[in-house]
Amino acid sequence: MKRSRFPMIVTGIVLLFFYLPILVLVINSFNASRFGSTWEGWSLQWYARLYQQEEIWHALRNTLIIAFTATGLSVILGSTAAFALHRYQTRLQRIHYTLIYTPLVVPEILMGISLLLFFAATGMELGLFTIFLAHVTFCISYVALVVLGRLQDFDYSIVEAAQDLGANWWETTWRVLLPLLAPGIVAGGLLAFTLSIDDFVITFFVAGPGSTTLPIRIYSMIKHGSPPLINALSSILLLITFVAVWFSQRLTEEKP
Amino acid sequence: MKKQNASLSEWLATLPSLIWLTILFLIPTLIVFAITFKPADPFGGIGSGWTLETLRKLRNPNYPAIIWRTIWLSIVTTTICIILATPAGYFIARLKQRWRQIFLLLVIVPFWISFLVRIFAWKVLLHPEGLVKKVLVSFRLVQGDTSLLYNPEAVLLVMVYTFLPFAILPIYAAAEKFDFRLVEAARDLGAHQLQAFFKVFLPGIRRGLLTAILVVFIPALGSYVIPDIVGGPNAEMVGNKIAQRVFVDRNLPQASGLSAFLILAVLLPMVAVLVLQGREKKATPIIGEEA
Amino acid sequence: MAEFLEFENVSKSFGAIRAVKQVSLSIRRGEFFSLLGPSGCGKTTLLRILAGFEKPDTGRVILNGEDITALPPNRRKVNTIFQSYALFPHLNVRDNIAFGLRIAKRPRHEIDQEVDRMLKLIQMEDQAHKRPDQISGGQKQRIAVARALINKPQVLLLDEPLAALDLKLRQRMLIELDLIHDEVGITFLYVTHDQNEAMSVSDRIAVMNSGIIEQVGIPAEIYEAPRSSFVAAFIGESNFFEGQVSEIVSNEYSRLSIDGFPNVLCFNDKQMRSSDLVYLSVRPEKIRISREKPESNNRHNVVPGHVEDVIYLGALTKYWVRVQEYRIAVFQQHSRFLLDEKPIQWHDDVWISWHADDGFMLERYSESDEKLMGTPPEKVGEQNGEANGTA
Repeated sequence: MKRSRFPMIVTGIVLLFFYLPILVLVINSFNASRFGSTWEGWSLQWYARLYQQEEIWHALRNTLIIAFTATGLSVILGSTAAFALHRYQTRLQRIHYTLIYTPLVVPEILMGISLLLFFAATGMELGLFTIFLAHVTFCISYVALVVLGRLQDFDYSIVEAAQDLGANWWETTWRVLLPLLAPGIVAGGLLAFTLSIDDFVITFFVAGPGSTTLPIRIYSMIKHGSPPLINALSSILLLITFVAVWFSQRLTEEKP
Repeated sequence: MKKQNASLSEWLATLPSLIWLTILFLIPTLIVFAITFKPADPFGGIGSGWTLETLRKLRNPNYPAIIWRTIWLSIVTTTICIILATPAGYFIARLKQRWRQIFLLLVIVPFWISFLVRIFAWKVLLHPEGLVKKVLVSFRLVQGDTSLLYNPEAVLLVMVYTFLPFAILPIYAAAEKFDFRLVEAARDLGAHQLQAFFKVFLPGIRRGLLTAILVVFIPALGSYVIPDIVGGPNAEMVGNKIAQRVFVDRNLPQASGLSAFLILAVLLPMVAVLVLQGREKKATPIIGEEA
Repeated sequence: MAEFLEFENVSKSFGAIRAVKQVSLSIRRGEFFSLLGPSGCGKTTLLRILAGFEKPDTGRVILNGEDITALPPNRRKVNTIFQSYALFPHLNVRDNIAFGLRIAKRPRHEIDQEVDRMLKLIQMEDQAHKRPDQISGGQKQRIAVARALINKPQVLLLDEPLAALDLKLRQRMLIELDLIHDEVGITFLYVTHDQNEAMSVSDRIAVMNSGIIEQVGIPAEIYEAPRSSFVAAFIGESNFFEGQVSEIVSNEYSRLSIDGFPNVLCFNDKQMRSSDLVYLSVRPEKIRISREKPESNNRHNVVPGHVEDVIYLGALTKYWVRVQEYRIAVFQQHSRFLLDEKPIQWHDDVWISWHADDGFMLERYSESDEKLMGTPPEKVGEQNGEANGTA
C-alpha cells in the first residue's frame, strides 16, 4: 500500500513555518546592525547594553517573585483539586470540574478585564499582589489537569494496601501518595511557573504602576523601543525556556 | 465508584480550589455583566447608581464592523489551522514511538517560547525592510511599496502561527488512539487513500477535531496582542477595543459591555461543542470494548 | 458456638445494587476457605468488608471474639493480597515487605531479621534490592504474600491473586500458596471465580450467587451433592431432566417419570413426595455409554439414544447423545486402550446408563441455570445480572 507523502510534506512545512522567525530572531541578536535586514557582522553589543538596563532587572525581579509565589500556591490548590476530581464522582465534582476547566478555554482578555473590574469594585489597589492573585487563578487549572492526568494512571489499590498494612491517613499520604505523585506535581509546577513568567495580557490588565513584569516591559519595548535589545532579550529567554522544557521532559518521561 | 452525596473528606479536598475559583473567576465574570449597567466616573473608575447609558452607547456604528471582522478572522484562522493540523497530526501519529516524541517536542517547543517574542519575531520579518519583504520583492511576488504589516492579512498570519500548535495537539491525541486498521479495512473494501481519509479517518477523530476547533476559535475571538502589534487601524478586533476603552478612554463600563458581549460570543461555541460531545457519548461505539 | 471468624447477617448495597444480602458465614481457625462465584456475586465485597474498606449496612464481623465491624482497615489484624498486588512502585522489594513493620514502629534490627526470614521463605533473597517494575508477575505475588504475612495477621485475604497470571504459572503459584498455608497455619480467605482453583486447595468452599451464599461445604460435597440448581450448574458440568415423582419405592429411592424415558430410579437426597415436580441432575462422567444394551437391574437406569456429537480429547471422549428432547452429555474415560474395539461414532445408536445413586434431585431449575452451563465462569456474572432483573 503506497502511503501518500502529503502528510509528511505538510508537517515539514509546518515545522519550517514554526522555526523560521525564531531562527531569524536569534541570528539577528548577534547582528551589529540596528535593523535586521542588513547583516553587519557579529556583535555582542546588544547583550552588553541589555545587561545595563536597570528597568529590565527590576521587571525580572518582579516576574520571578510572582512566578515562585504563584506557582507555590497554585500547586497546592491544583493538586488537591486534582485529587478530589479523581477520587470522587459526585455531582459536586461535576461542578468542580466545570469551574476548573472553563478558565482554560476563556480568552485571556476576558479574564484580565474581569479581574480588573473585580479589583476596582472591591477597591483593591493594583500591584504585585493583584498580579499574584491573577496568576494563581489561571495556574490552578493547568496544575490540576496535569496532576489529574497522572492520577488516571495511578493504581488506587496501593493506597488501600498501605492502610491494610497499618498506615493511618497521614502516614499513607506522606509515605505512599506524595512520593508517587511527586513527578506529576513537579511537572504541573513547572508548567505553572512557565505560564506565569510568560503571561502578558492578564498581567497587563491587573498590574499597577511600579509593578512591571518582564513581559510588560517587553511589550513596551516592542511598541517604543530598540529592536536589537529585544532580539537579545528574546534569545536569552529562549535559552531559559529550552532548559526548562528539557527538565520537564525528563521528569514526565515514562520509566521503562 | 459510588454515586453518593459528598462526604466530609471530599468537601475538604474540593473547597480550597472551589472557593478560590468562585471568588476570583466566577464572581469577576458576573461583575463584568453587572458593571455594564453602571456609569463611568470622570476619573476612570466606576460611578454609583445604575444606568442603561452604556448599552445605548454600544449601538455605536463602528462596533458591528469590528465584531464581524473578529468573527471572520477567527473562523478563517480556525479553518486554516485545522487544514494544516490534520495531515500533521495524522503523520505524527503514524510514526514509530521514538520519532513521535521527537516530532511532538519539535511542535511543542515554539509554544513554550514567550508569546510576545514570537509575535515580535514576525513583526521584524514582515517589516518593510525585513527579510520576507526582500525575498518576495526579489521574486516579484509583491510591489516595492506594499506593506506586509499593519493589515488584517498580517494578523491572520500571526494568528495561525500562534494557534496552530493548539490545533495539532488534540488532533494528534485523537489520531494516536485511532485504530489505523480501520483505514486498511476501508482500502481492502475498495476505497482509495482520499476516500478512506475522509470517510473513515476524519469521522474517527471527530472528538479531537472538535477540541481543536474549540481551542483555536475561542482564544482567537479574544485576540488582543496580535492585532495590537502587527495589526493596523483597519485590522482592529474586539480585544483591541476593550483594551482601548480601559487604558486610553478609561471607560470601564463600556469595556465591560464589550466584554460581556465577548463572553456571550464565547459561550455559544462552547455550549455547542458540549452538546455535540454529549451526543457523542450516547452513541454506541463501532469498535466497543469487550465486556 | 462461635467460630474463629464470623459474618453475622451482613448486607451491603451500592445505590440500587444489593451486593451482599444478609450473609452469615462461619470460618474456622486455620482453614483455607474459599469464596467461589461468578463476577458480581458479592464475594469481593464480602472480602472488602472483612478488610475494612467497605462498611456493611447491616450485620457484624467478629474476629476471634472481637467485633471489628467499626474498626478502620489499618487497625485490623487482617492483611490483604490485592488482585493487582499493589506493590509500592517507589520502594524496593525489601522496603515493600518491611512496610507494615515500619508503620508499627518495630525496632530496626527486628525488622531486618523478619524481612530476611520472609525473603528466605519466598526464596527471593538475591532480589531484595530490585524494584517492582523489574520483577515478574509470579515474583510480585510472592512479595505481596510476604508483605502481608510478615505482620502475622489473624486472617490472610486473597482477592483473586492468580487472575493476572498465565495458566502454567497459575498452577504453580496455587501450589505454593497451599504450601505456605500449611507451613504458616494462618486462616486464609480466598476469593475466586475459578472452581478448579477453589476445589483443589480449599478446606471448605462457599458458593456465592447474587449476594447470597448458595452452599457451604467441603469440595466433594459441593460437587457431588449440590443443594441448588445454581451450584449444580456452576460447578462442573451436568445434565438436567424435568420430571415428576411417580412413586416412592423405598426409604432410599423414588421412581421418577420423565417424558420419553422409561421409569427412572433416583436416590432420595431430598424429601420428596409423590407427584412432586422435580429436576434430576446427572453428571456426564457418571453415565456409561455402550453399543450393547447393558443388563438392567434394580439400581441402574438404562436408556436408548442416538449419538449427535463426539469430541475426542485423548484421556477421555465427550459424547452428546440425543434422547427424546434431551441432548445428554456423556464423558467416557479411556482407562484401557483396546486396539480391536470399534469406537463409538456419530449417528450410532447407543445405550446410556447410570446408577441410581449418581443422580441428584433439585427443587428448582430455570432457563438461566441452563445458560449458566454453557458460559465460561468469568462471564457468568453479566448473564446473572441480566437474568435476575431485580437484584
